Amino acid sequence: MSTAGPGSPGAATATPVARSVAASVLFREIQRLGITHVITVPDTHQKTLLALLAASDTPRLLTVCTEDEAIAINAGLYIGGQRPMLLIQNNGLLASLNALKAIALDARVPTLLLVGQFARDVTRTNAESPVRAVRMIEPTLATWGVPCYPIEGPEDVPHFAEAYQRAQDERGPAVVLLGAPTS
Amino acid sequence: MRREDAIATLAAARNGALSVATMQTVLAWHEAGQAAQDHVDNMGCMGTASALGLGLALARPDRKVMVLDGDGSLLMQLGSLVTIGGAAPPNYYHFVFDNGVYETTGNQPLPARVDFCGLARSAGYRQAHSFADAGALAAALPAILASQGPVLIHLSIEREEGPIRWPRVKMADQVQALKERLAAAPPR
Repeated sequence: MSTAGPGSPGAATATPVARSVAASVLFREIQRLGITHVITVPDTHQKTLLALLAASDTPRLLTVCTEDEAIAINAGLYIGGQRPMLLIQNNGLLASLNALKAIALDARVPTLLLVGQFARDVTRTNAESPVRAVRMIEPTLATWGVPCYPIEGPEDVPHFAEAYQRAQDERGPAVVLLGAPTS
Repeated sequence: MRREDAIATLAAARNGALSVATMQTVLAWHEAGQAAQDHVDNMGCMGTASALGLGLALARPDRKVMVLDGDGSLLMQLGSLVTIGGAAPPNYYHFVFDNGVYETTGNQPLPARVDFCGLARSAGYRQAHSFADAGALAAALPAILASQGPVLIHLSIEREEGPIRWPRVKMADQVQALKERLAAAPPR
């Protein structure tokens, strides 16, 4: 778990900092955790994962209009005994901060958010990114005290289950930050 | 109609439905004795009551869900009509209290008046009804709640003046209480 970007700021390199994770690997993790609903405002980074989810009956893929809605639907599903999660992108997370504050934090609803770093240059760390949304996600989450689990390559996939468990244990939000597009 | 008359009518017809309230319906629903169980308030996030109710309705298709929304609140998340219409939960009943103003901030007018029933039908709700009279609402409500949702029920409410009050209940406590109560009574 980290509240800062992986690596340290420095000169950009052509070597990828973030590497793709196979959509099938994340899909299996989602199923293994017993997730019942994936609530999404679609994310460019996670097209291949969304395709797998759309082709499967379990979990149910629920496409919604805004990330605020997604956080509230997650709450209703949780109250009703389901095991939901969100699949969104970085700009959507920034758009939903009031819902994150009121529902996930204040009302203490476990809220797992799988967030794609849209517009990330994978040869740069998040902290080095010239794209404000990419650069500011982790500092923003740290300001709100929201735990952030970066997945910068296949070796980080266990972070997904750790984040899910933390959201359940602490009854609050946990963000899995996906650095590279899924393959 | 007066808000309290609409609330009393909804309370009388509730018959065990789960409920979600927001903004100026919150205290009225509490004072009508409807918030003690099977209920959660949508607090601190204007606009998301309808989505919270959608999650409940999808999670528990064996229970009816009544959402007590406001006109200004719904306008903040108008897309939720489309999400609800698309998901089409048959156990979802969406009551929109329309007084044309943002009451908690001093009765400033909404940007414009809109046809909520027309919007709901366009978004895929199975039915939409509008009432300006509590007697007519009371007469129609049993049949509406016996029909398949999602249904939007638009309620024309008189403007009110006076201090804004909130119940001293934490949404976090309501969330856990309702979760535990629903877990103890799983779908058959």
